[in-house]
Amino acid sequence: MRNKHKQVTDKGGFNNRLFKIKIAAAVIVGKTLIAATRILGRGGTTLPGRTAQKIEPGLVSKLAHETGKGSLVVTGTNGKTTTAALITSIMKEFGSSYVHNQSGSNMSWGVATAFVEAASLSGNISTDYAVMEVDEGAFPGVVNNLKPGVIIVTNIFRDQLDRYGEIDRIQNTIRQGLEAQPAGGFQIINADDPSLVALAGSENHCRLTYGIDIELPVDHIQDSVKDLKICPQCFNELAYKRIYYAHIGHFYCSNCGYSRPEPDIKLTGYEENRTGSSRLEVQYPGGLLKFNCPLLGRYNLYNILAAISCAFALDIPAKTIICALEKATPSFGRMEQFTYKNKKVVIALIKNPVGANEVLRTVLNREGDLSLMVAINDKIADGTDVSWLWDVDFEQLSSRDIQLSAVISSGLRAWDMAVRFKYAGIMPDLIDINKNTEKALQSALAKTASGGTLFILPSYTAMLEIRRHLNRMGLGKPYWEDK
Amino acid sequence: MAEINIYHLYPGQLNLYGDRGNMLSLLRRAEWRSIKLNIIPVEPGDNINFANCDLLFMGGGQDSDQKLVAADLKKRKKELHGAVEEGMTIFAVCGSYQLLGSYYITADSEKIGGLEIMDMHTEAGKNRLIGNAIINCTLWNPSKTLVGFENHAGRTYLGPSLKPLGEVVSGFGNNGLDKTEGATYKNVIGTYLHGSLLPKNPWLTDYLLQKALAYRNQDTRLSELDDYMEEEAHKAAIELTGSKKHKRMSSRA
Repeated sequence: MRNKHKQVTDKGGFNNRLFKIKIAAAVIVGKTLIAATRILGRGGTTLPGRTAQKIEPGLVSKLAHETGKGSLVVTGTNGKTTTAALITSIMKEFGSSYVHNQSGSNMSWGVATAFVEAASLSGNISTDYAVMEVDEGAFPGVVNNLKPGVIIVTNIFRDQLDRYGEIDRIQNTIRQGLEAQPAGGFQIINADDPSLVALAGSENHCRLTYGIDIELPVDHIQDSVKDLKICPQCFNELAYKRIYYAHIGHFYCSNCGYSRPEPDIKLTGYEENRTGSSRLEVQYPGGLLKFNCPLLGRYNLYNILAAISCAFALDIPAKTIICALEKATPSFGRMEQFTYKNKKVVIALIKNPVGANEVLRTVLNREGDLSLMVAINDKIADGTDVSWLWDVDFEQLSSRDIQLSAVISSGLRAWDMAVRFKYAGIMPDLIDINKNTEKALQSALAKTASGGTLFILPSYTAMLEIRRHLNRMGLGKPYWEDK
Repeated sequence: MAEINIYHLYPGQLNLYGDRGNMLSLLRRAEWRSIKLNIIPVEPGDNINFANCDLLFMGGGQDSDQKLVAADLKKRKKELHGAVEEGMTIFAVCGSYQLLGSYYITADSEKIGGLEIMDMHTEAGKNRLIGNAIINCTLWNPSKTLVGFENHAGRTYLGPSLKPLGEVVSGFGNNGLDKTEGATYKNVIGTYLHGSLLPKNPWLTDYLLQKALAYRNQDTRLSELDDYMEEEAHKAAIELTGSKKHKRMSSRA
């Protein structure tokens, strides 16, 4: 009996040592791969994480457990990257340290790559927090690994159906992830999104909601996407007292009474300053925040509210939150602005109809001489189905009184996009088609008038390509230098 | 001036895969030929009169919406059957294509009755059939290719007398087994292909416009358009579907 017992303990010790060795090996191999891809100028976020996870599948779970104050996960269709970036800037202002997948690589391997990069060579993490933006599909798996104390769900729109099937299924995936969160955790959700309100809020978790409480000006963009305007409880059509965009607004169901909850954190004032920033007033249970924020676009209002809600869940003081938000800058490829030879270049990722319509709103509000380049790839990270381009209201480009000096279509699906422009009413002669994003960018810059603005609207992998071209021209920095 | 009435069925519910592209394609190609095209949205519960409809367009929906639609549509089954026999055109994509058959068995083994316009049935499969697809479509002689994107869990099986819309060159088609894609009966066309389907296959758009014109005994001759861009997009889609490198890039999930 005694012998046998001894054997078991030895085996335990051996397994433990083996685990540590494998963790260290996974981290070292992962770090080597990160360095190698950066030398190539690419900043790979897939291979290092994938390889490290193959060496030791328990890697992420172990590292997440070592963070001093735990993990936060941001998921949802739109706004993940910006919300997570705002949260980390608030943490930074507060003096907390964090590991964060800031490249926006948000599948399980992107999360693993971020952990590998932040870990010490012996395979340990010493940051206060882990802040991870996570793709909806990868969400339940990442929650199981990270056991996050805070989950933020921004919204659910139709996006990348080729990967997940239909919206019903995305909702189910998000529900699974929420249920997998350890008891006592915070679930922060958008009160104006009817598909989310029905999901979150089990008795085991603390629910915090945020929403907009004021009128916002109506414009001409047609939201052709009407998904989710059906009551998730009784399947009758939802009614709205106010609608901000797509299915986001003050909803209620006249059949079963399901309605928007009174948000805990709400926007009570909003004004656009002439300088391009906006003045915000946010009410929270303990008081009122008033501040200026340089982020544009109404979708960013929700990202700001989500970040504030999260900061409150973490007990960060109001003063720190304001300081951080007043300095906020656009994230990687999200309305980033550069200046090149007296020309403004704005790069804004598009990936689904709702987000793209929001970007078009901003484009159409810009004054002066405008050129537009859209670059669409159909790799897995972009979504392989390009049908959604037809749900974007590109018709606005021809029906408004704006004069585009050039329209450029690029990427693997350049021809699809060119046809889309043609059927949106843009003269075919005006459309310049070049699959190669580098050549298309050169041509777009050449055609943009001095003092004018070139808007580049790329899909995800096209954005990575174009950003690299811009970096080589001395515009912006690779994301890994952008801390 | 020639005129076509398109009834767009449940635009709020059946709008999953770029169906707006199909409508825009019909609309523009009619406009460019000075044909007046009226798009009449039909909402659930509307009392529609198929007597004024030349072309019925039905898009794709998700499961929860589709149940609502199926229940509503069955009330109009008789009128629909009458119109179909007289030669009214129906163009149905994905979810609503399935509704045209006898029944659909969902993943939860629930049997939803269909409109019984075409002799076929559908059963939900375990995995979804997703990806770019090319078919040889036999609406013309010689046949023409159609390119699109498919994404469906349902496996559709055609009865012995029902003609498929085409033969699968690349992709899954109706069920992933028998190389058939879509179905056609009289002037009814059902397909799993979206992408959107019509913009990159302008000959199919024109085919639908002609059938709709013929239904009201109007002149079916269509003036030629410059389809250079549409043809290039069609060719590019075929190249991408055939490219091994692209398949690898786009099928890794």
